[in-house]
Parts: sequence; structure tokens; C-alpha cells
Amino acid sequence: MTEPLLSIRNLKTHFHTDEGTVRAVDGVSLDVDRGETVCVVGESGSGKTVTAESITRLIPEPPGEIVDGTVRFDGEDVTAMSEKQLEALRGGRIGHIFQNPQGALNPVYTVGWQIREAIQLHDKKAKDKEARERAIDLLDRVGIPDATSRIDDYPHEFSGGMKQRIVIAMALASNPDLLIADEPTTALDVTIQMQILRLLNQVQEEFNTGIVMITHDLGVVAEVADRVVVMYAGKVMEEGDVYEIFENPSHPYTRALLECLPGRGEKMSAIGGSLPSTTSPPDGCRFHPRCPYAVGDCEIGEQPPMYAVDDGDHAVSCVHFEPGADPSVVLGEDGSDAVGGARADGGDETGGDAR
Amino acid sequence: MMGGEDYRDRFEDIDWDDMQRSGLDSLTTQTAGFLASLGVVALLLVYDYVVVANDGPTFTTPFEWDVTQLDWLLVVTLLTVVFFAVYPLYDNPRMSRRYWREFRKNRAAVVSGVFLVGIFGLGLVGPLFIAKPDLNVLAQYQPPVFLSVPESTVGTCVGPVSDGMCHGTWQYPLGTTGQGKGIMKSVIYGMRVSLEVGLITPLIIIIIGTAVGTVAAYSGGIVDELLMRYVDIQLTFPTFFLYLLLLYLYGGTLFLLIVIFGITSWGSTARLVRSEALQRREEEYIQAAQSAGASEFWVIRKHLVPNVSNTVITNASLLIPSLILFEAAFSFLGLGDPTVPSWGQVISAGRSDIDTAWWISTIPGVFLFTTVLALNFVGDALRDALDPRAED
Repeated sequence: MTEPLLSIRNLKTHFHTDEGTVRAVDGVSLDVDRGETVCVVGESGSGKTVTAESITRLIPEPPGEIVDGTVRFDGEDVTAMSEKQLEALRGGRIGHIFQNPQGALNPVYTVGWQIREAIQLHDKKAKDKEARERAIDLLDRVGIPDATSRIDDYPHEFSGGMKQRIVIAMALASNPDLLIADEPTTALDVTIQMQILRLLNQVQEEFNTGIVMITHDLGVVAEVADRVVVMYAGKVMEEGDVYEIFENPSHPYTRALLECLPGRGEKMSAIGGSLPSTTSPPDGCRFHPRCPYAVGDCEIGEQPPMYAVDDGDHAVSCVHFEPGADPSVVLGEDGSDAVGGARADGGDETGGDAR
Repeated sequence: MMGGEDYRDRFEDIDWDDMQRSGLDSLTTQTAGFLASLGVVALLLVYDYVVVANDGPTFTTPFEWDVTQLDWLLVVTLLTVVFFAVYPLYDNPRMSRRYWREFRKNRAAVVSGVFLVGIFGLGLVGPLFIAKPDLNVLAQYQPPVFLSVPESTVGTCVGPVSDGMCHGTWQYPLGTTGQGKGIMKSVIYGMRVSLEVGLITPLIIIIIGTAVGTVAAYSGGIVDELLMRYVDIQLTFPTFFLYLLLLYLYGGTLFLLIVIFGITSWGSTARLVRSEALQRREEEYIQAAQSAGASEFWVIRKHLVPNVSNTVITNASLLIPSLILFEAAFSFLGLGDPTVPSWGQVISAGRSDIDTAWWISTIPGVFLFTTVLALNFVGDALRDALDPRAED
């Protein structure tokens, strides 16, 4: 089996603060292949963003530190790279897209300057004129109308959706193999969200790019994901194929998340309680204080290992799925109430792309 | 939030032709031009110190100019201002026009600006063509032109005398001091002094303060701690006494005053810049630049510094008048450069004759007052023009 494009193994990113060590990411493993979209979902504060930033070591060190685990990108260990190598990797083979396009563009430069910066930081030989042409090309490709003239505009002259397209253009400047999109649509209004997701999809099809998408929006997950990783309090709770996750959610947390999703035609319910302290997380399963199915075993020892569900790569970190245990405690008697399954094929009814 | 498509329409009636691109290439032109000019200055400096005889003037044509240490410093300062303040404005006419539109709203500032350009322009070129005011006991206490004083006040009246009154002449348009120095010339030389104090010292302060402030804010941790504790120490350090000490050891020169105050007074600027930069560094575009593969230096230079420039310019607009006043106070107390006729010195020279020859102290005093006032007006308007948050 060939090695995946990105392979994170047992990643632990901690922040050493005055209040103690914050275990933002505490043993996360995930793989991303070329041309594959992996969505990392979870509540705010579950460690999704820190996971994403750890991939290119963007976390501030100190106080942050990758204390354990490996991040292998295309066979190379990122955690062992020098600052110079990392700079070549960031924006070179790995592009970042940020949550808030208003903030991700520097207000004092034209968008053209910023895209050329992204190009020339990695292609030192690119002349200004050539870089400018490539920048126009990129703007055109991400669907900015009239790119030739708009390239000299300042960020405040673009709307939110346009800004996010520009941010994507910057991320694409060096034809990256992997895109890390940290909640790319959260700050955008709903009509623009779908356009941006389609744009990402087009880019992926064109260049066979791997995408790590961080989101808490399960609607977005249903739209774009190939595989889903559900995170909670720095741990992976469940991972698997997007259809499996939506049709056969196994971890009580995943099921609770799906129940929070409006528009399923069922009663919505919020998850009671709140995220546990990341400085002193509870023993056993991190979710047990909020879990309706918690038993004595959940409260002791470590987070349960990933147990396979059915077949394939669907796995879940829950004691009820330990071989020999009875998963119907969580799943109910019929074992297959398809929570939110209806949306797994995506809300494709929204109109066409801007182009 | 608006959809991208309808938003576009609002910009279609903009005249795209007058748009000029500014960016990486122009920045390199800027740096290249600056370095080339510095190179020329360095060559001239070598020429001055190696080839030209010790006391001889550096240039003889078209005018005689013995370039002093301070002049060299002023030339470098002017180059810096031209390449890093004027050139970007020229290069980006659209932004410049916007700033101008905002600036123009403040009438007093526009008038002040014109006045300052006149004062500093004259201070810059005047001393090249006008000889230093010299002692002349035969021309003491001459009144300014159109004014007259009793002949008894004046030693020998240069101008016409009628009814026992000595009238001023065009030879000394603003009168003379008790030593017979022409006040007009003194005032013009004083403009040069104010220009030097008001430009070189703030520039030194701003360069060091901005560098320290942004690096401290960006790096955080131990670097921040060390730099800021050093600033604390420096802020408690009595620069005034250091200057006095050096004054007694080496004699008071304007060069010493400017350099000492430049390299010991950047502490508060560094603190201001740091506090602004701490906010800016949390902005997403800083992280975006990092994630695009920019090095630490690049992020600080290209992303952090331009975004704290409003704070820096506001700070400079406060620094300049206070430093000019400071120099005047030093000269008034006799702690300045005795060879340089600064405004403070002339004011001081006339203070015992205020009853009979009021013009000696008053005229440079008026210049000092109006210059500082004008600087404050301009600074105020600049602050409004450059502050993006003040936009309507």
C-alpha cells in the first residue's frame, strides 16, 4: 500500500501556560490521500484548528509544543524539519485557507501584491511581470470577474465571498498538493458558502489536491467530505467514510452532534454540559461526563482505542464497541437508525456557481 | 454582506487608467534607489575625509559648502525620507490622493503645511548661499526695516537717521543683535537647526523604536522580555545628565545633542509601537503570511511594520515639535552649540535687551512659536488622514 499524502500519527500538541498544560491535541491520528477531502469536525475548542496548524507547525512555539507523534507529509517528517524547510513547505506544497477572509488579507496591500507575494516567496526566479500575470490567472481561476483590473484593488473593495476567493487564490499560488482549509465558509453567508465549496471541489478535481477541511458545520461535511474525523477535547472520537458516519453514526458524541443538526425532520436536541477542561481532562473517555450511555468502564483509564465498526475503515473510540461488548446500548435495538442520513448526498439544490 | 456580482458594478465607473500598480517590484526599486544613493553619499564621504584637505570645503562649485558631520547625517536622513515616505506616495497616487483629500479638510493644516515647507525649504538651501551671520560692532541693535528706535539705543546707525530716530535698512531686514549679527541670517540658520533637530532625531528614534517594538511584539517570550526590560532601564536613564557630561568632556555640538537624544529617547516609542504591534500580530493576515511561507523578517518588515505605521507617524508628529522646543530650551540655557545660531540662542542673546531692542528675542520667538504650532496642526491633520478607523 502506498503511503498517504499526509499521515498524522498520535499527534500531541500541548500549550504550556501559567494555568497548566493545555492538551489541545492529545493523540490524534489521521490520513489524507491525494484527491481526497477529509473533514475534521467537532465543537469549538475540540482541537481541530490546532491539529490543522500543527501540520505545518504554525502553532506559536513557545507556548505551544508538539510533544509527541509524527506528521509525515509525502514521506517526510514535518516535526523534524528546520525552519527553512518549513517555510518552503508552507504555501509551497501545503496551502492554507483561513476562516475569516476579512482578516486574512493585509489591508495595506493590493490583492495583486499579496498574491504575487505568495508566488514569489516560493518561486524566487519569477519576475514581477510574470508573477503578475500568474496572479491575474489565479484570480481568474477562482472566479474573480474582470481580474485584470481588479488585481490592483485593495481588500476592502471586495465582498466577503470575493475575499475568500482571493485567499484561495493565494493558497493555490504554488499549486500545492495539500490544502488545509480552516472553516473556510464559517464567516460567509449561506449563498456564498456553496460557491466556495464548489470552487474547492473544482480545484481538487483539477489538480488532484488533498484537502483537510476543518469545520463544525455538518452540512458542509455532507457536501464535500470523503472521510470524516470527529474530534472531541483533543481526541478522535470516530472516523470513517462520510456515508458511514452519517448513516451509521456510532460514537455517542457523533450521534449527539447529528442530533444538533437542524432540518433532519426530527426533533433537534442540544448536547448538555460543555467541553471538559483541557488542562485536567477527565479520566477514561473524554466524553463520558456528557454521555447518556456512560458506564463505569468509561470513567477509568485512558480514552478507549479505536475499535472497528462493521468493516472498512470506520472506527470508533467507545467502550461499547469493544469486541465482545454490546453496541446496541448506543445504537438502539435495530442497530441502524440513520440519523441525518438523508443529507449525506448533500444539499445540491442550491444554484449554480458564480461563473 | 453583498454578493460579489452586484458589488462589482459599483467599481466599474472608476477610471482604471489612473491606477498604478505598487508592489514587490516597486519596493525593490525603492530599496535599490535608496542603497544606490547611500553608496554615492558614502563615496562622497570618503572623498571628503581622504582627498579633501582637513579644513577645506568639500565643494567649491556651484557654491562653497564644507560638509560637516551633521550635514552628512542630514543628507542621509533626507534620502531616507525621500525613499521611504515621499516615493511610496508618488508610487501610489491613488492612496496619496485619498490622504490628500482627508488632509485638505483641515484648512489650518494646509496653511501650516505651506508655511513649514517654506521654513524648512529655506533652512535647507538658505545656509548654502548665505554666509553665517558675523560679529559687527558697528551694526549693533539695528532695528528691523520700517521700524525706528531712538538713536541712543543704537551704537552706529546703519540706516537713515531722522529726528533722533534710527530707521531700519534692507541691509538688516530683521534688525541685528547686540553683537551686530543680522537676525534674518540667524533666523535662517536657525531654520536649518530646527530642521536638523526635527528630522534627524525623530528619524533615529523612529527607526530604533519601530524595530525594537515590532521585534519584541512579534517574537514574544524571552526576546520581548529582554528588549522591554532594557527599555525600562533606558527610560529611567537621565539623558540630560549624559548630555551635560559629554558637553563638559567634548564641548557642546549640535551633532552630539542630536545623536545622544536620538539613541537614548526611543524607549517610549518602542513601547507604543509594541502595544500596537501586539494587536496587529494577532491579525489573521500575519498568520496567513506565515502559512504562505514567509520568513520572520519578511513578516515583520512587510506585514507588521506597515500596519503600525499610523502609530509611528502620529508619534513622530508629536516628537518633532517637542524636540525642536527642547533644542531651543537647551540653547537658551547656553547648553547648545555656541557656534550654531539656533533660535533658542538668539532668543537668549536678546533677553537682557528686551526693553530697548525687543526684536532680538521676539522675532526668533515668533518663528519658534509659529513653527511648533504649524507642526501640531499638520500632525493633527495627518493623524486624521491616516487613521483608517476615522473613515466615514
